[in-house]
Amino acid sequence: MSFLEYRLKLAPSGIAKVFYIQWALILVLIAIAAIGWLMLYSIAGGDMDTWALPQIKRFGMGLGLLFFVAFIPIWFWRSMSGVSYIVAMLLLLVVHFFGTVGMGAQRWIDLGFMRLQPSELMKVTLVMILAAYYDWLDDKKVSRPLWVLIPVVLILLPTYFVLKQPNLGTSMMLILAGAGVMFAAGVSLWYFGVVGALGGGGIAAIIMSEGTPWQVLHDYQYKRIHTFLDPAADPLGTGYNIIQAKIALGSGGWAGKGFMQGTQSRLNFLPEKHTDFIFTTLGEEFGFVGAISLLALYTLVLVFCITAAIQNKDRFSQLLIIGVAMNFFLYLAVNLSMVMGMAPVVGVPLPLLSYGGSATLVILLAFGLVQSAIVHRPR
Amino acid sequence: MTRTPLRPLARILNARQKGENPDSIERENLRLRHEVMRDKSRGSAQLRLVVLALSFFGAFTLIGARMGTIAASEPVEPRTASAGTEIDAGRADIVDRNGRILATNMLTHALYVQTRDLIDPARVAKELAAIFPDLDEKTLLRRFTDGRSFLWVRKVLSPEQMQQVHEIGDPGLLFGPREMRLYPNGTLAAHVLGGSSFGAEGVNSAEVIGTAGLEKFEDARLRDPAQAGTPLVTSLDITVQAAVEDVLASGITMMNAKGGAAILMDVNTGEIVALAAGPTFDPNDRPANPTSGDPSDSPLFNRAVQGVYELGSTFKIFAASQAIELGLVTPETLVDANAPMYYGKFKINEFEGHNYGPMLSVSDIIAKSSNVGTAHIAMMIGGERQQAFLKSLGLFDASPVELVEAKGAKPLRPARWPEIVTITAAYGHGISGSPLNLAAAYASIANGGIKVTPTLLKRTEPMQGPRILSKAVALQAVGMMRRVVTEGTASLGDVPGYAVAGKTGTAEKTRKGGGYIKDKVVNTFASVFPANDPKYVLVVTLDEPSENTGSKPRRTAGWTAVPVAAEIIRRAAPLLGLRPQVEAASLDGLVAVKN
Repeated sequence: MSFLEYRLKLAPSGIAKVFYIQWALILVLIAIAAIGWLMLYSIAGGDMDTWALPQIKRFGMGLGLLFFVAFIPIWFWRSMSGVSYIVAMLLLLVVHFFGTVGMGAQRWIDLGFMRLQPSELMKVTLVMILAAYYDWLDDKKVSRPLWVLIPVVLILLPTYFVLKQPNLGTSMMLILAGAGVMFAAGVSLWYFGVVGALGGGGIAAIIMSEGTPWQVLHDYQYKRIHTFLDPAADPLGTGYNIIQAKIALGSGGWAGKGFMQGTQSRLNFLPEKHTDFIFTTLGEEFGFVGAISLLALYTLVLVFCITAAIQNKDRFSQLLIIGVAMNFFLYLAVNLSMVMGMAPVVGVPLPLLSYGGSATLVILLAFGLVQSAIVHRPR
Repeated sequence: MTRTPLRPLARILNARQKGENPDSIERENLRLRHEVMRDKSRGSAQLRLVVLALSFFGAFTLIGARMGTIAASEPVEPRTASAGTEIDAGRADIVDRNGRILATNMLTHALYVQTRDLIDPARVAKELAAIFPDLDEKTLLRRFTDGRSFLWVRKVLSPEQMQQVHEIGDPGLLFGPREMRLYPNGTLAAHVLGGSSFGAEGVNSAEVIGTAGLEKFEDARLRDPAQAGTPLVTSLDITVQAAVEDVLASGITMMNAKGGAAILMDVNTGEIVALAAGPTFDPNDRPANPTSGDPSDSPLFNRAVQGVYELGSTFKIFAASQAIELGLVTPETLVDANAPMYYGKFKINEFEGHNYGPMLSVSDIIAKSSNVGTAHIAMMIGGERQQAFLKSLGLFDASPVELVEAKGAKPLRPARWPEIVTITAAYGHGISGSPLNLAAAYASIANGGIKVTPTLLKRTEPMQGPRILSKAVALQAVGMMRRVVTEGTASLGDVPGYAVAGKTGTAEKTRKGGGYIKDKVVNTFASVFPANDPKYVLVVTLDEPSENTGSKPRRTAGWTAVPVAAEIIRRAAPLLGLRPQVEAASLDGLVAVKN
């Protein structure tokens, strides 16, 4: 039984909803995406057709999706959260089983006009079902072990299949975003403390056991850890991306080399220059000033989300917005720290900037949900 | 906390009186209660949102700061030379005492083949054989096609060869960058440096390891990554070393010797300024170790350190100075020198059957190199004290110098020490040592009686050593050696202005089965200069020399080693910064009296 049902009459209806949409947030999203189009144009050597134009089309489609979702009342999405979770889970299973049988090691399903990654979709539906769960759950029960176990299972189930793909980056994001929603829902801090301590201890045990007869991982897995800690040890192998990215960022300096003047990224030193490592091109061509401005735009998005969450009295809406913001933040943090050598290379795109369909569509879909929550919030 | 009852009796009754449904009151109260609870929980939920927001901004601040540091950093390209391997290729340079390069590294390329990528193995084999005449076309082709996927062809390539191989143009031919050891001075100081070769070899680099000499002795230090940027500073002086090698090489030729050695040592520090041995080799192209024949015939044989010879009469000064130190004699004391001398069944002769007797002063025994006189002095000292003194001079132990070869060259001495050994050892027979052992012993006398530990590394602090002779006795010993040059057996060793002092030694080589070979000798001249203030010791040893300008071959040190040593001093002394000096009057006086 949700709080907002008491004041339904106050929610806008029909075309009036347009006035309640958070337009500033949409403008910031478009601005970020536009920077991405500029970069894709530059990386392709001044050519629109290679990457920029398809990306603009996808963004346009995504924007349409955003408005479509935003106009549908948030309580409809709440009642759909269970269904969408099950659908996303089924898609994951399809990829899991048919992936091994017929599609090689693919992570996506071909929809004809685009390739859908169920793991991307899962990022949104997981947040939705967790928000709906805590909306339904009596506040007093939130920290009781049995009622904590249910969302943990809801998180770990898709995580397992994503990890099996294998996709370490997305599975980490699922766990962290889920944990973020649980944290915002008021689950006792003891749980987080215990899990954090166990996780830290486990990692310590894995690292400490290297070289002993009872070591946990294979030798080559330890080698990867060492490469992450010191990419210079293997500059032509696993450390290559990180080192080249750092060179690109470093050569940009404070003001950058200027639009279309970057060499490091355009001369194919970077294999993922238009997807995961697009930030390096920005850093090289627009320098520290450009990079920090982009970071400011992203920060603005998060500020909008958090104020919207605080203003919103509906528990489902609040948790949903926090979950989406959490996901958005994780995309950014993981991608940027990966590009700057602060995290291992795990293949997480930079939201709205990186070339790619699934991530862009799913992010815009998620912001559609946020807009719906804003439009239909109880007043 | 006061809780509103859900069904307050007064209101319920009131409502019933008015005919309303009292349940609505309960519902209303329940709703109010829920709202209070929600507001409370929302308060804590908002706190958590603020915590989340703060952690977002914290992370962004971190990322922004990182961006700033990267933007401020100078971009550095990764070094490809050491790419992707655990092989540590950095090896420290070796320099002389003034920082001039003796050994350094140079980037070169190795040639290897990935046979699966070869387009035309037959043509590649043919063209490679044309570029490298030592490679055989058929062997190459067989190795290209016998199923292996990888093989090394050359360890190092010159730029011209690399270009020629490049022009073959086959994708299966690949170049691996690596650092090689380079000795830019060629044969200079070859016996000191030793040599190096490749250890573990990778496609992107190769390990250089020392195989002989200083390179092997200091291998761990040279390969230490922490000290790779700091060159190893030796005590050698390149210019002096070049002069010494030059003169020694011509001396070996002129004296028809098989080989020779020369060691120039600073008497006060034990630093070896030059160490030469001939014949020599080029460490850039070090010959393989000999597998057959006498190893001492190989150019790799370092006569200065590895050559263990009976050093003959050069030992006499040890007996004389010990006897003076013990107060048994003074340089003027007359000693029985009537030759031949009989000890039991042994007969002790002078050179060519001379008789310098019946009596000689100690100083004259040294000047004339009298075996008999030395034998009598040795008998005064006695075997135990003699052994202790020779040991304190370092003549019983392998030289501690920084060359791997030194450890294996332990001086030979009799297991037992009866009195006849005391007598023969006093004039350097029956006991062997390397020229380097002898140089260190002479330096210990020349510096005023402080034991010298020889070293090839530049000393940064003054040498500490035990005193083995009093300063006055050491000075007298040098004075006696000066007379050897001015009026004794080493008259060809005089170099005007440098007051050379020294002692000659001629020893017959021993036969394998025992006994001596008459016409195969080792000539040694151990010299000290300048005599009035000794600064350097020079030991020159010639192996099987024969000076043939006279009516019959002359094989005494005075005719062979001495003139070579004199020429070395003539050339090296100015390089060492010594000014020619007018001789001290007292020594001139001695000469005048004798005349």
